[in-house]
Amino acid sequence: MTGGDEVTGDREDSVGRASRPRDVDLGRVWIGVAADVWRRRPGPLERLAGQVLRSPGLARALVTTPSLLLGWVIATVVVLGAGTLATLGTGAPYVALLAPAVAAAGIAYAYGPGIDPAWELSCSMAVSDRMVLLVRTLAVFGLNAALGLAASAASGAAMTVTFGWLVPMTAVCALALAAATVAQSANVGVAAGVAGWVITLMSGQAAAGRLTAAVTDSALMLPYLAFTACCAAIVLFATRTPRGTS
Amino acid sequence: MNVEITDLTRRLGRTQAVAGVTMATGRGVFGLLGPNGAGKTSLLRMMATVIPPSSGHMRLLGRDPGDYGQRKQIRRRLGYLPQNLGYYPGFTVVEFVEYFALLKEMPAVGVHHAVAAAVERVGLGDKATAKLRTLSGGMLRRVGIAQAIVNEPELLLLDEPTAGLDPEQRVAFRALLRDLGQRATVIVSTHLVEDVGAACTQVGLMDRGKIVFQGTPDELTARAEGTDAAGDAPLERGYSAVLAEARS
Repeated sequence: MTGGDEVTGDREDSVGRASRPRDVDLGRVWIGVAADVWRRRPGPLERLAGQVLRSPGLARALVTTPSLLLGWVIATVVVLGAGTLATLGTGAPYVALLAPAVAAAGIAYAYGPGIDPAWELSCSMAVSDRMVLLVRTLAVFGLNAALGLAASAASGAAMTVTFGWLVPMTAVCALALAAATVAQSANVGVAAGVAGWVITLMSGQAAAGRLTAAVTDSALMLPYLAFTACCAAIVLFATRTPRGTS
Repeated sequence: MNVEITDLTRRLGRTQAVAGVTMATGRGVFGLLGPNGAGKTSLLRMMATVIPPSSGHMRLLGRDPGDYGQRKQIRRRLGYLPQNLGYYPGFTVVEFVEYFALLKEMPAVGVHHAVAAAVERVGLGDKATAKLRTLSGGMLRRVGIAQAIVNEPELLLLDEPTAGLDPEQRVAFRALLRDLGQRATVIVSTHLVEDVGAACTQVGLMDRGKIVFQGTPDELTARAEGTDAAGDAPLERGYSAVLAEARS
């Protein structure tokens, strides 16, 4: 650790004092060189996100989303791929039943203490953590919706419910997000989302005699949307700006 | 005054972590001393705008952290090193510092220069492109300090910054603190009395959520005179004397 003017003392020595012009600040020159050499080149996705969001910080926060990292995306593809194969083999719409639970897990693991290593620091930053949460949530949801649609299209037999599961998926994701935000625990979010979805499926089984009632019964769509709105309100309340502190 | 706090409290569950703190400080290095559980970290987290106070008044850099717009302005001028620094193991030193420079909304054109300067300032130039997972605890602490100072903050909050640093690094860090304190308000939470004696112009001693002493290190030392307070160094004896008096 060095004080401001001593930063590059050793390097100055190595350059050679004899040949150094008097008015050149080699420390400043070195910092300029180092800045250029160490400069990170953002990938195309981050550059695009930076332009769309008009915030390089928010774009960087987006590409560091834990549930958007390659390993997680591969796992999601594998699960939905297995669902597609099962659907093709049995004719049952497993993709429609799996997609909401997988998406809920991704949402819960998008941001928060214990999940994002630097969450505490992020909470003291000018780019608001609420915006980070919102952007990451939308990105994870969008990716899962796209993968779910692709899986549904590939599995043909489930095409009839392709759009039926999007609304329930939104509700389950909102539940997972609300639980994770209020409890400040991604695991609680995942548990709430998956448990909520399993209960919904079981209820469909009990009431209509089939698991798929949860994604095919159009009478449920309005309650799903109302539930989503309630969960969104909870998230907004839990991440509100504290008042009365000055 | 860059920090003005009146009757600040913070309750964490059933625990009163901060119980009515009043303090004001301007430019310079302010050492926040106290035993474990005294409330130092909770007070620092409130000043870092990570958690809101339960009650009381706080103004930071002349602004109200309860207001969204003003809080954003404060955060742009703030540097914060938490007690437990979380990090992304796959990031390099430069990537990590740059990430927080961006989140502090530093002008994009100056970010790379500022990152390089901060990394050099904490003596990590030779590790600039090393992954964080390969660094020692002391080096990670210095990475944390680099991200805290990257925006040349007007208010710098450091929670146990010397934890994990070896004696040579601690000496260098104190020099850095003194340098930073010439232009900014630096608040350092520590339980190492020698850090305070070497680098701080003002000292506050916290116990059970309250500030029980505020003054200069010399004034803290003087509090031991005429007592049989325990301690190997004069400042330690002053620390012990004030704590004993507060608890009696």
